[in-house]
Amino acid sequence: MTSEHSPNDAASRWPILMLLLAGSVWLVVSGVLGIIASVQVHTPVFLSGCPLLTHGRVSALAETSFVYGWLANAGLGLALWVLGRLAGEPLRAQNWALIGTAFWNIGVAVALAGVATGDATGFALLGLPRYVQLEMIFSYAAVALPGILAWSGRLRRVSFASHWYAAAALFLFPWLLSVAHVVLFALPPRGVVQAIAAGWYAQGAWTLWLAPLFLSVAYYVVAKTTGRALPSYEFAALGFWCLVFVGGLTGGRHLVGGPVPAWISAVAVVSSALLSFHVIVVVLNLRGAATAPGVSAKFVAFGIAAYALGAGADAATSFLGVAVKTEFTYFDEALRQLALYGAATAVFLGGIYFAVPRITGKAWLSGRLVRAHLLLTFAGVVLLVGSLVVASLVQIPDLLDAKVPFAQITRETRPWLLGVTGALGILLAGNIALLVNFYATACEILNLSKPAAFEAPAAAETHAS
Amino acid sequence: MKSNFVFFLGILAALGVSWAAIVLGSNAELGALAPFYDDTQSTAFPEWMPGEAARGQLVYRDLGCASCHTQQVRRPGLGSDQARGWGERQSVARDYIYQPAPQLGASRIGPDLMNLGERKPTAPDKDDLLKLLYAGAEGMPPYRFLFEMRQVGVGAQPSDNALRLTGALEAPAGWEIVPTERAISLVKYLLNGKTPYDYPEAVPLPPAKPEAGGGAK
Repeated sequence: MTSEHSPNDAASRWPILMLLLAGSVWLVVSGVLGIIASVQVHTPVFLSGCPLLTHGRVSALAETSFVYGWLANAGLGLALWVLGRLAGEPLRAQNWALIGTAFWNIGVAVALAGVATGDATGFALLGLPRYVQLEMIFSYAAVALPGILAWSGRLRRVSFASHWYAAAALFLFPWLLSVAHVVLFALPPRGVVQAIAAGWYAQGAWTLWLAPLFLSVAYYVVAKTTGRALPSYEFAALGFWCLVFVGGLTGGRHLVGGPVPAWISAVAVVSSALLSFHVIVVVLNLRGAATAPGVSAKFVAFGIAAYALGAGADAATSFLGVAVKTEFTYFDEALRQLALYGAATAVFLGGIYFAVPRITGKAWLSGRLVRAHLLLTFAGVVLLVGSLVVASLVQIPDLLDAKVPFAQITRETRPWLLGVTGALGILLAGNIALLVNFYATACEILNLSKPAAFEAPAAAETHAS
Repeated sequence: MKSNFVFFLGILAALGVSWAAIVLGSNAELGALAPFYDDTQSTAFPEWMPGEAARGQLVYRDLGCASCHTQQVRRPGLGSDQARGWGERQSVARDYIYQPAPQLGASRIGPDLMNLGERKPTAPDKDDLLKLLYAGAEGMPPYRFLFEMRQVGVGAQPSDNALRLTGALEAPAGWEIVPTERAISLVKYLLNGKTPYDYPEAVPLPPAKPEAGGGAK
């Protein structure tokens, strides 16, 4: 794959490396917080004396650092890289991205401190306290600027699926968060409209921001690793517009049977079903990932499979008859983890393992750590989602039977919740492997350390051989 | 997709459509929902939330209680909500109009808390809830930091609010365990959770006999 190296990569590497490094630090931080939260579910007294770490707060901290720390940084870094690659010239306005990255991450840190000390918002996927939101909107716009310029100023007029998804994510997130800021914090509506608006934001953050970010990476990596035109590509544009137009309407998915007008959940159920058209297109386009060579393609294939499985399960369980059983249980958490970890994280990891050797011009310092991370991620996600699903299968009949007290449900689900903690431990170990490998590789291009055992690589990536 | 401008307009429209439909649509329907005035009782429902209870809701939000407890009862026939004594009717949007930050919740690791103040068969009282917060339970952590240990004796009057604990939890001689203001407002909030009035839109439907009728709504 020697033709794969672009001189532009080196010229635009600093903003991208900074974003990816920051993301992998937050990934480890959120892993530790996630383990604390999961231990508290089966052993409630754990750290209960620490007011900063009540279960509610730790859960919000883990989610915020995962979404706004890891997924946002990694997704932005890879989106900039993909858009720069497709533009055919070095990124412009790189200083904006560097400064934006610094302020974005300061915003995440302030948000975490705020949640821990009592400014939790109580909204899913929107754990950012009010006072950091404007700062984060502007930081995001600054980071996105080089990507937007690379998209609008591309050398050829034709654009690709990676373009659409990345550009959409770059544009949509600041709009989404600024609307949420006005609707939920500046002029909060009365009563349950808050919950509806928060549900709209949470689904939008997934379908209009995180999913487009990782799909952009997936389309690029699959096209590059298979080295062929994507099959059924003529449907890709339809799949994109399906996601963008229908995705935002699935917001009432978690309000089925709740104190909201029935049309909210009805629209969400229909939209979830319509969204399967988008998922089918993605799977058709990217099916080559399953047989493509290399670690990156395996991560991406796993991510796309998780995405398809999650979307299918989401649509199937949104109907009233099923939703009244699965809602409020560990099953919802299983689907959430399948989306955020199984799909988005796996694809971003694949993107990082693909992009960093090309950006730095160096192979990963340890190929063994890369392969270990692949195995740990696969095993961890399967164990995590599997344990949560089994826990929910124990929990659902117990919840439906009014004679079973909650203490008994806790006892009966405990073995599976221990499995969740174990799975999060496995994932954390893998993510530490990434961090170590990444820092060692990044330090090397800064000449901060001179590893004695390092030999010149035969190729720029571990899986090329 | 060759035109950047058309693309830009397309995604703008997509976001705008979903925002207008879901957020503006529900706000138009529910944003100005008025209390229901009952002529026979000469009272409007829901009743105004006392200030201390409203403050307790913010304590509930900031501690993240909603990560394990919901506050929404589903209509009879959906799940075991009614059978567990959580409420005789479904929660409706009007129940929440005076709440500064409704905590619907999305997880039932613990029980629903919507109608804790009128729980069947026996509703807990203030002391029960304070003890539960202090001692925890199986599946629920203790929240000791919402209480303080105070010395009693010469020059220090015992507090009226002091917890009456027994056994291993009892405070050492000369000391007492007193709930902080946050604990008291949290408990006031939880006990304020009552939905005593059946609004026209909340009147329990008779359970549908044939299974097919259930999905009609």
